[in-house]
Amino acid sequence: MSRKSRFSLLFIVLLLVTMPMVIQAQTPDETTLVIAQSVDVGALEPALINSRAESNIFNHLYGTLFEISENGTLDPYLATSYTISEDGTEWTFTLNEGLTCHDGEPLTADDVVYSFQRAADPANAFTGNTAGFVFPSVGYVDARVDGDLEATIITDRAQSEPLRLGLLSEVYIHCQDYYSSITLEEAAENPVGSGPYRFVEWVRDDYVLIEKVPDYTLRTAGFDQIYWRVIPEASTRVAELIAGNVDIIANVPPDQVAAVDNSGSATVQAVSGTRRMYVGFQFGEAFADAPGYEAIQNTDVRVALQHAIDVPTICATLLGTDCERASSMVNPPNNNPELSPYTYDAAEAERLLDEAGYPRGENGVRFEITLMGPRGRYLNDANVVQAIGQYLTDVGVQTTVEILDWSSDYLPRVREKNVGPLFFLGSGGSTWSALYDMADLSAPTAGTNYTNWMNEEWFSLWDSTAGLDPAAEREVVNEMLEVFYNDPPWLLLYFQPDFYGVSNRIEWQARRDEQIVVYGATLK
Amino acid sequence: MGTYIARRLLQSILVMLGVTLLSFLTLHLAGDPTYLYVSERASEQEIIDTRQKLGFDRPLPVQYFDFLGRLLQGDLGTSLRARKPALELVMERLPATLELTLFAMFLSTILAIPIGIYSATKRGTPLDGGIMLFAMLGQSIPGFWLGIMLILSVGLGLRWLPISGHIPVIQPALEGDISTAISNVPNALLHLIMPGITVGVFSLSRNARLVRSSMLEVLSQDYIVTARSKGLAERRITFNHAFRNALIPVVTILGLEFGFLLSGVVVAETVFSWPGVGRLVFNAINQRDIPLVQASVVLFSLLFVMLNLIVDLLYAQLDPRIRLN
Repeated sequence: MSRKSRFSLLFIVLLLVTMPMVIQAQTPDETTLVIAQSVDVGALEPALINSRAESNIFNHLYGTLFEISENGTLDPYLATSYTISEDGTEWTFTLNEGLTCHDGEPLTADDVVYSFQRAADPANAFTGNTAGFVFPSVGYVDARVDGDLEATIITDRAQSEPLRLGLLSEVYIHCQDYYSSITLEEAAENPVGSGPYRFVEWVRDDYVLIEKVPDYTLRTAGFDQIYWRVIPEASTRVAELIAGNVDIIANVPPDQVAAVDNSGSATVQAVSGTRRMYVGFQFGEAFADAPGYEAIQNTDVRVALQHAIDVPTICATLLGTDCERASSMVNPPNNNPELSPYTYDAAEAERLLDEAGYPRGENGVRFEITLMGPRGRYLNDANVVQAIGQYLTDVGVQTTVEILDWSSDYLPRVREKNVGPLFFLGSGGSTWSALYDMADLSAPTAGTNYTNWMNEEWFSLWDSTAGLDPAAEREVVNEMLEVFYNDPPWLLLYFQPDFYGVSNRIEWQARRDEQIVVYGATLK
Repeated sequence: MGTYIARRLLQSILVMLGVTLLSFLTLHLAGDPTYLYVSERASEQEIIDTRQKLGFDRPLPVQYFDFLGRLLQGDLGTSLRARKPALELVMERLPATLELTLFAMFLSTILAIPIGIYSATKRGTPLDGGIMLFAMLGQSIPGFWLGIMLILSVGLGLRWLPISGHIPVIQPALEGDISTAISNVPNALLHLIMPGITVGVFSLSRNARLVRSSMLEVLSQDYIVTARSKGLAERRITFNHAFRNALIPVVTILGLEFGFLLSGVVVAETVFSWPGVGRLVFNAINQRDIPLVQASVVLFSLLFVMLNLIVDLLYAQLDPRIRLN
């Protein structure tokens, strides 16, 4: 054998020996949990969190005053209790004793106040969820220390109790000494939190590694360390799950559910998410000249169209799962139990359209209309929009479907309320507050009232919800949902299902609210 | 030569200015980036405030000339998402992309030359036809499809290679941790094979065809006929006489190949979860992180322009018939 051949043989033998070792090394050990998400965090800065993928990691690194449970209850966490001032504008939280941040610094009311004030400081120009959404939603004014363990959040308004508590539960608490001693740039890469896991390493676009904080008493952590891997391509995530290299993956494509279930190494958990999917009816006058605009101003037409869409079939065929049709804009169990979802009944839709004064013409068309929808934002969105367009056309509403790119075209148009006369959209919801779900329509001019709906009864009822006790609030909510049902600004569709791939080696239950929380995950 | 280099450098600056202007305008034409930085429930006032915080409320020419002004001082801006200097972010990822690009280039060159030569010497045979058929396929197969097929067959089916991920070699070496860099090599190579094939298969096919046609052209020259009539061995004619001359157009392409491969890694980096510059730019475009996109564009165009210049100069050195005037 020549020298060259011997070298080649040696190389091949070495490759064959090392390959199985490498493949084996990819499988996580018993103390490690590996989770794969499609996107990385932008920065490890709690005040810059903007996406669910980011908050999934931060929920393990940072504690919050209260915590939203998987069932939608609001449970004490860093705080044990709270009191509300008589006028409802000041909320005072009492903290647990003996709390510390991951660097050992005691966590007191000073740190809570600092966390709020730092996020609100205009000099920091934070654009994350806390400053960009929570604070405006609760009318945040300032925070003050009322004792070693008592911090008061000052707002400019009274508000529904669960709504405000849930919103404040999204603010991550961190310690003042550490964060005030470093620059924003340093903070964005070196988080020191207050949750059951602490930060170890971040390799951008590759993984974030966190490890269990010994003796953390507020939550029980199952695994010693968690890798949050970034795997953007869905097929690759699925392959890694089936190969046993990853324990939990988010967003399994519906067409790959069977492959995972049949793999013998993992299964898919399909949960009905909290995102409300709907077709909006545009009331804005900018569309007054658009075909079909006039027809959908008629309440009877909008009710008729509810019967034209076969939502269960859309779910089964395009989303790969059975789903229940929404009966309101509020997630169960906070919806009005008296309301039943509109049923699919094309004949009934046609009858109601006839009665509303829109009979079929000689060409079989009642009226023409445009339905806009995005591509690449929601589960199988473009195909769902096409299906809806076809169902509407089938009952004589000749529908032209326009599919637009989400980020460059559709999103700006939605934000400018420049979509319609019909448009497909999803809106994030909650499990913990009916009013949170209804806040899309908190005022006629609300940024999220994309339909420009102006029902006076609804908005006057909304204004009456501030500061009500839970029973009275429930009554008003039910009344409002009835108004919404009978004069619908939305064509109600479904709660978007979420698909999680879960390795057979672990015990873990997916939540409805798109959050991946794994304190309780264990090996089987 | 000096005048030529000076002229090319001036052209390069104009090219880069054009590239920055085009990328800037394209990013802004694709809708208001502010909407990607606010909660989906943000009010109109919150959107206005955020637009101001991000600096997108200023007129476009002001934003662009501000960028150019800072660029002249070596400041490529700060990433809106990462809150970190954009240049630093790009340089952090560059080693991973370089590993992938160099490996793909190595594969496409090392294999393309012998395949092309062999095919040329067996011209018209079924083997030549088969090789060219595969070369056609290699140029036609979409990268993302090939990547996923490799993952499903080699990674998941046979379990021969890791499905995704990256083991760094250049990065620890740059940080002075040579022992880690060396010990990572075997594992890194295994992680490189599938993405390397995905990135390199197009170039491999194109280069093989190029080498073949270049060889065929040279092999039909009079001096080759003379060499044959002198009774030289076919092997010697192929490698000593034909190959060297056939290499000139190949060298030109190989120089540009690096830039081509560099720009083509986005798909492989996404499919194989490879933390390189391609994915960084792709994500930055999706998130409209304009400073980061601009920094990447400037660096990539600089790299590409410089490579072009070097190739042109090399070309003149390799073939004295070519004059640079």
